[in-house]
Amino acid sequence: MLGGMIGSLGMGLGAYPLLAGEVAKSRKKLLLIFLSGGPSQLETWDPKPGTKYGGPLRAIPTSVKGTHIGELLPNTAKIMHQIAVIRSLNTGITDHFQGHYALQSGRTVPGFPVIGSAVAKLLEQDGDQLPGYVEMRRDGPKAYTDVGDSGFLGPKYESVKVVNAEPPDYLIRPDSISESKARIVDQLRADSDHRFLRGRSELPIRAYGGTFNSAVALMKQRGIFDIEKESASDRELYGSHLFGRHCLMARRLLENGVSCVKVVSHDWDAHQENFHWHQQRCSEFDRTFPALVTDFDRRGLLEDTLVVVMGEMGRTPQINNRGGRDHWGTAWSMAMTGCGVQRGIVHGKTNAEGTEVVEGEVHAGDLFNTFLRALDISPGTRYRMTGQPIPAGDPAGSTIREVLV
Amino acid sequence: MNMAANSGAARRTIVLILAILATGHISRAEPLHTLIDEHIEADWKGDKIRPAKLASDAEFLRRVSLDLAGIIPTAVETRAFLGDTTNDKRVRLIDRLLASPEYALHMARVFDVMLAERRVPTTSSYDITGPVWRAFLTEAFAENRPWDELSRDILGSDGTDEKTGPGVKFFLVRSTEAHAVARDVSRLFLGRDYQCAQCHDDPRYDDLKQADYFGIYAFLNRTSHFREKKSNRSMLAEKAEGDVNFTSVFTGEKGETNPRLPGGDAIPDLAMEKEKLYTVAPAKDVRTVPAYSRRSQLAEHLPRKETDGFSRNIANRLWALMMGRGLVHPLDMHHAENPPSHPELLDALTRHMEETNYDIKSLLRQVALSRTYQLSSQLPEGQPEPPPESFAVAPLRALSAEQLGWNFLQASGRLPASVIDAEQKLKQESPERYEERHNDLKWKKEIYDNLETTAVPLIKAFANMPGQAEGDFAPTVGQTLFLLNGEKYFDLAKGGYKGSLISRLIELKTADEIADELYLSVLTRRPEAEECEEVAQHLKNRTDREAALQELTWAKLLSAEFRLNY
Repeated sequence: MLGGMIGSLGMGLGAYPLLAGEVAKSRKKLLLIFLSGGPSQLETWDPKPGTKYGGPLRAIPTSVKGTHIGELLPNTAKIMHQIAVIRSLNTGITDHFQGHYALQSGRTVPGFPVIGSAVAKLLEQDGDQLPGYVEMRRDGPKAYTDVGDSGFLGPKYESVKVVNAEPPDYLIRPDSISESKARIVDQLRADSDHRFLRGRSELPIRAYGGTFNSAVALMKQRGIFDIEKESASDRELYGSHLFGRHCLMARRLLENGVSCVKVVSHDWDAHQENFHWHQQRCSEFDRTFPALVTDFDRRGLLEDTLVVVMGEMGRTPQINNRGGRDHWGTAWSMAMTGCGVQRGIVHGKTNAEGTEVVEGEVHAGDLFNTFLRALDISPGTRYRMTGQPIPAGDPAGSTIREVLV
Repeated sequence: MNMAANSGAARRTIVLILAILATGHISRAEPLHTLIDEHIEADWKGDKIRPAKLASDAEFLRRVSLDLAGIIPTAVETRAFLGDTTNDKRVRLIDRLLASPEYALHMARVFDVMLAERRVPTTSSYDITGPVWRAFLTEAFAENRPWDELSRDILGSDGTDEKTGPGVKFFLVRSTEAHAVARDVSRLFLGRDYQCAQCHDDPRYDDLKQADYFGIYAFLNRTSHFREKKSNRSMLAEKAEGDVNFTSVFTGEKGETNPRLPGGDAIPDLAMEKEKLYTVAPAKDVRTVPAYSRRSQLAEHLPRKETDGFSRNIANRLWALMMGRGLVHPLDMHHAENPPSHPELLDALTRHMEETNYDIKSLLRQVALSRTYQLSSQLPEGQPEPPPESFAVAPLRALSAEQLGWNFLQASGRLPASVIDAEQKLKQESPERYEERHNDLKWKKEIYDNLETTAVPLIKAFANMPGQAEGDFAPTVGQTLFLLNGEKYFDLAKGGYKGSLISRLIELKTADEIADELYLSVLTRRPEAEECEEVAQHLKNRTDREAALQELTWAKLLSAEFRLNY
């Protein structure tokens, strides 16, 4: 089926990917928008204007009667009836690395796959050739945006990385290597591996060989990473900033059969000038996210795609002497929409000053289980790896029924 | 340098003999490598596991060269070893590798990755550069500096001393953040990850206590980064004040602690009058130096056999370096719920480290001599695959990024060609030095340094993300795309310079000769009959002989056999 798709890529997919449709529609998908560094809940989903720690910004009404969000998100306010907000996260983690890992894996013990790898594995179908998990970020020194990995699921479910909206590196064969030469070499290599396999532990040898097959498949379909093939109006809709281009590329990949895409939005770590900082970050986010939700809804993508917006932590109610807010894991927020999710609701509550959760407390494991459930995967599903079967969800966590359909 | 190492070894041997005489434990005179085999084999009997057969000479040569010298041998070296008919050739090979300059260069790379974990400091200030740091480690391993001394050099360095100065990199790559340093001191020097214990006693493991973590933290919380403006150098400053209090986020229980190592007693501060607290008092743009340094106490007290975990951690890590997994595995998960696969063996290795005064080479040598290490990677027939912790079959291990990068240069002929050039130059410049070149670290290091820019892109493509420990074999599509389409990589296989593998192959007449040279150069073994046949067939099919040789070479460089240590 995917083989037939390859030919169509050169012509551009137009508004709707007809050939890929069957594959894409028959399974759930995940778009994770990760606000790396930790956005302030007080300047976004859970404003507390006029209180001790509320800061100088106002709250604005939204399309959901009685629900207010921060004034930096005016466009998002208009689509609040399309999303669910959780205001009662208590994860207790104030470290970037740990937060990235725990929020994406639902665990604190190392070695578990992050949601992208987990979904790539759990939603995998026979005959898949594209990577199940693609991650997009900017080029930069902050390594903690990459801590997520496939854990015990192994390299096959590791993310393929898109940096600065460029296709993954080395997708194009250099002119000096003809296709026939490459094919001859690959055959010799495969024969060599076949001999090496005799009498040896197969897993590592097959894993290595598998990367050659995936590499060839990816090279053939590199057009799915080219947003120039999308219409000018769609490119305008998502915006020409990196976050916007990544979100549009994410749509393109999801429509073509990639089961999970993670888009990283950077620089939310506002230890100083928190309000100025959030003005900037939110303006980018607010330019693209509401447009994406509306667009996904119009195209029917929201029916089978779970869209998650979160960071690795929130920010302290207390404002430090540089006008910043610091790391905070005690009472903060996230948002989600798409398949399986109740829209237009707010779950959980913090106290008047935003210093603690007073209703509907949610932990990282609960969120993870809820993501799985929204994707029609039971958190009790077990990975059949070597040794004991391991549950996909956090056995200590529950599912947040209130935000699910 | 060599003389110092020899006299050090002699001194340690005497110490060992005296220790045996003093304790009367004659059984300990049994060499460690036979003890290793006894312990490992005892478990096979209990678990009804039949082990793999002994590795062939070629398999052993490749493995031990990778483990002790970090690089596969040249075709010339492989021919010599395979042709050697003496009985003790494996022992002599082990000793030659341990004495080689490559050993020091390799171990420096291994410990660079282990200790600095490819981290980069978040402060943009001057850092100890990679080459300076690796030169420091190279020197230490060339002298076979005992692990306790090297640990002391690293933990005690404040960046001011010329000799131990580079050790401060351990702090700098963690931005001299006391929690990051404390956690990694525990992980890397004691084999314990106190990640959760930063906030509360670890509910999973009884022996990971919040108070123990903060005992280590208390050595470090007064230390901070200082950049000397004049020299633009990074150093450590330290205050004479700052106590450590902690609260459990679970129980709300509060604690306070002086510096204390797990299982040990708190180390009281020297009582001092307020005005005498500082050698250099806090002031603007001045490196604060306390009269009594808690951090120096860490360097002083931690690298001792009395410190729970110190000897065991290095014994376990050196074992893992040779065997592909620790007796405690993962390496930093030593706690009650994750016992060693072979407790008595781990005790024996730990004791060996202590009794030899932390002689790293000695432990590696004993492991290499063991039959367990020398088993084949061919699975024993007629039974399920033995579990990895049985060590009944040699595992297929990933080459480290460094091993892979340098192996490319070795196999493709780039490194051997550089060595030949350098040899010719040296022969003219200094005939005496030429005679001793195989033990000449400075000379060898220069050859490697000159090729560094060629090796680095390869190494980078296969290196883990900063802060991620190197682990199991995890090939990715991205890496494979780099191999396939990174033009530079193919250029290596293309040859086109004097001494390249292709230029050597093209001189050879018969397909069998070509297959022989190709397999010895890239895969460290002779080809099987069907492999000679494949080479002959390929040469016959292709009209362009050079292109055909390039394709054969490239395919071998892409093979799983080349990618793994087996």
